Amino acid sequence: MDFSAVRAALDSKSYDKIADLCDNLMLQVAAEGIAFQDDWPYAIHLLSHIYIHDINSARFLWKSIPSSIKESQPEVTAAWRIGQNLWLRDYAGVHEAIRGFDWSQDLQGLVASFSELYTKEMFQLLLSAYSTISIRDTALFLGMNEDDATNYVLRQGWTVDPASQMLIVKKHAVVTEQKLDHSKLQRLTEYVFHLEH
Amino acid sequence: MDPLEALVAQIQGLSSTSGDINRLHSVLKQADESLRSESTRLSPILSQLDPSIHSLGFLYILEASMPAPVTRTQAETVVPIVTRFIGACSTEQIRLAPEKFLSVCRKLKDQVMLLEAPIRGVAPLFTALRKLQVSAEHLTPLHSDFLLLCLLAKCYKTGLSLLEDDVFEVDQPRDLFLYCYYGGMICIGQKQFQKALDLLHNVVTAPMSTISAIAVEAYKKYILVSLVRHGQFATSLPKYSSSAAQRNLKNFCQPYVDLANSYGTGKIGELEAYVQANAEKFESDNNLGLVKQVVSSMYKRNIQRLTQTYLTLSLQDIANTVQLNSPKEAEMHVLQMIQDGEIHATINQKDGMVRFLEDPEQYKTCEMIEHIDSSIQRIMALSRKLTAMDEQISCDQLYLSKAGRERQRYDFDDFDVPQKFNI
Repeated sequence: MDFSAVRAALDSKSYDKIADLCDNLMLQVAAEGIAFQDDWPYAIHLLSHIYIHDINSARFLWKSIPSSIKESQPEVTAAWRIGQNLWLRDYAGVHEAIRGFDWSQDLQGLVASFSELYTKEMFQLLLSAYSTISIRDTALFLGMNEDDATNYVLRQGWTVDPASQMLIVKKHAVVTEQKLDHSKLQRLTEYVFHLEH
Repeated sequence: MDPLEALVAQIQGLSSTSGDINRLHSVLKQADESLRSESTRLSPILSQLDPSIHSLGFLYILEASMPAPVTRTQAETVVPIVTRFIGACSTEQIRLAPEKFLSVCRKLKDQVMLLEAPIRGVAPLFTALRKLQVSAEHLTPLHSDFLLLCLLAKCYKTGLSLLEDDVFEVDQPRDLFLYCYYGGMICIGQKQFQKALDLLHNVVTAPMSTISAIAVEAYKKYILVSLVRHGQFATSLPKYSSSAAQRNLKNFCQPYVDLANSYGTGKIGELEAYVQANAEKFESDNNLGLVKQVVSSMYKRNIQRLTQTYLTLSLQDIANTVQLNSPKEAEMHVLQMIQDGEIHATINQKDGMVRFLEDPEQYKTCEMIEHIDSSIQRIMALSRKLTAMDEQISCDQLYLSKAGRERQRYDFDDFDVPQKFNI
């Protein structure tokens, strides 16, 4: 089995490419009749799906892993624990699953990068869903201790309500590209003209 | 000279120009019967042929050499040969004998299933169906076999990539039924419920003279997915569906129709009790997982309904109305729905309140215009296709003679194409 493409993607930190690479490689070696299961990098494969938020694919991959491998390779189980918590929407559990395992050299970069991505997403979620939120919950969502979490959100312009010790969320105006180029406008105009005449 | 050796010599000699290959094809057709009677002697011959050059000959001999019921050991030797052949064979040559090619691929599918290694057939069948189809719009009989293997091997994502092609040409109705049914299951697995609904809809509304098991199973899933996706289910099928389906499908799926009725009341307790009482039926249909998703979708549906009535509501009130255990649980439900874009709201933890907001989309971003534009383009392409098909049918000899005959009964003088069929 030739994992050089996967290795290259790991080295160049192109983590979002790995899932497709692994999927295709697996179908290819399976078609050649190779018994790949024992040497397959299941932990990388699982995490690559998780990285691109394809929890369904991670779940189906997990279901297809032989139980002997699940038992003998703790890293595979640990990788799935992240996916499982995402699946269950146990927001704090995801951070715990990331921290709760001593990841091998190969995976450290991928896991750290996912962790960073996930923290950012959680911050965006809090930003869009809350107007006030407790410090404790914020810390759980962001996977930090309360002091770090408070400092993190204060830097984003949030404030602490002294009376209730709650964080007040500062919403950012979302900037979206609204400038249209003329050809698009022209085309829509033509459609409408066509329909009306 | 042994007739088999002679045949091999002919295959080797007549595999270059298209004229030669056509001659070879008629030779092979004549030899087909005798090949079958000597099926045990054929395997060694395959090594004398090159699958990429002598594709047609290889195909005939391979097909005749594959015994129908196989042992696991036999399958272990045959599967790699077929896999290599599918990868190497010439597209032009195998298209001359599509039924032989189909038969070989079907046997491959059966054998990897026998070996309990469906994943071994996924990539070969994908290659095979691409070689067999004349365009991406063409549905081959291999589509459904490929999707079945994807389901068994849990390669849902791979299956989904095939479902992105829009299908317009179908050879056999059964191909379409199975393609849409398995496709629907793939989409359910990937939580693409709208696409699943579209595919299953195609099965239950397709023309059919009698009810098939595929249609019944599709209808069951159609009811469930419809509840998950839209929170409701209309028991009457559209008018254009076959009368067989309109009359009978419901009778085969009574527990599911009752489930939909129970869902309609909006009472989570009743729904759960009903599911509990009928769990065995759903389990034996392999639909229990989907039924559970129906149940949990009801919380969402009930919360969504609240957004239509209230501007602000306390988490406690939400918990009480939709029957969740605590305000915290209600908060988590609301949060998930915000995350999935299913509602627009902000949670105020300090006061324990939720404020429901309007959809912030103003339909004026570049992205949205792009989206609208591409939708219009797609609909226009579809409309052009419909017009072309309509024209084709109105010029069709068979159709015209039938339509003309029927018309005659009313108006003997008019031999023109009936007015309403003119475009």
